[in-house]
Amino acid sequence: MTGLWIQWILAAGCLLIGLFFMITAVFGVNRFRKALNRMHAAALGDTLGILFVILGLIVVRGFSLDSLKLFLVILFFWIASPVSGHMLSRLEVMTNEDLGELLLIDREHKPHEAEEEEEREENHEGV
Amino acid sequence: MPPSLRMTWDTRQERGKMEGINQAYEILLTGAMIVLAVLIVLSLIRSILGPGIPDRIIAVNMTGTMIIMVIAILSVLLDENYLVDVCLIYAMISFLGVVVLCKVYTGVYLQRKHMKADLHAIDDNLHHQEHEIIEEAGEKEEAR
Repeated sequence: MTGLWIQWILAAGCLLIGLFFMITAVFGVNRFRKALNRMHAAALGDTLGILFVILGLIVVRGFSLDSLKLFLVILFFWIASPVSGHMLSRLEVMTNEDLGELLLIDREHKPHEAEEEEEREENHEGV
Repeated sequence: MPPSLRMTWDTRQERGKMEGINQAYEILLTGAMIVLAVLIVLSLIRSILGPGIPDRIIAVNMTGTMIIMVIAILSVLLDENYLVDVCLIYAMISFLGVVVLCKVYTGVYLQRKHMKADLHAIDDNLHHQEHEIIEEAGEKEEAR
């Protein structure tokens, strides 16, 4: 009897942790302003949220074919979620033209700055 | 007390305990489903409000994740095995939907960009021709 209650407590713990992660993900998606930040919050729910919720259900089910199928759902999500996240980030970076200032890569940006700084220094020396 | 009656009493006691734990499971799973339903509504609101297309796709993707969770919980609550298969298929179709939407909107964006570039090129060409005509006219007047 106590074994069954321990099982219940384990399942409840896993489910509550998963729900906490989902609440965090939804809060983040509603709170952040930029799409890339939102994606970061959504990825949390896609990986850890679904892992813990379905782990709780596997604990409820015990060892059976259904548990294997539920585990397959987790496996599929962990393979598919990064791929869809990559596609989404590529779409965002390609279509959003306001990101230009944020996404300047040092390698492309620094030489010009360095040259400008050198010029400024030269000008100061000249003055 | 005859043994048969004791057996029934024991089984009744056992059944009572089992009912208690079943009720506990029911409360747990139903509560989780209620929380997920509220979160789904919030996520749908974000998918309507989201300023850009990527925001909407992210919100819809997360809604799909939570619907998959609800279906999985339902399969345990109702003790129906086939709902887990529905869950798997839903995950696959949701992934496919995100990939296709991304590809489609990338294509739409590139098409619009090319169209804008073509229009700018046509405008520049027209201005160039106008200037050439004006210059030619000026040269002719000077020649006179």
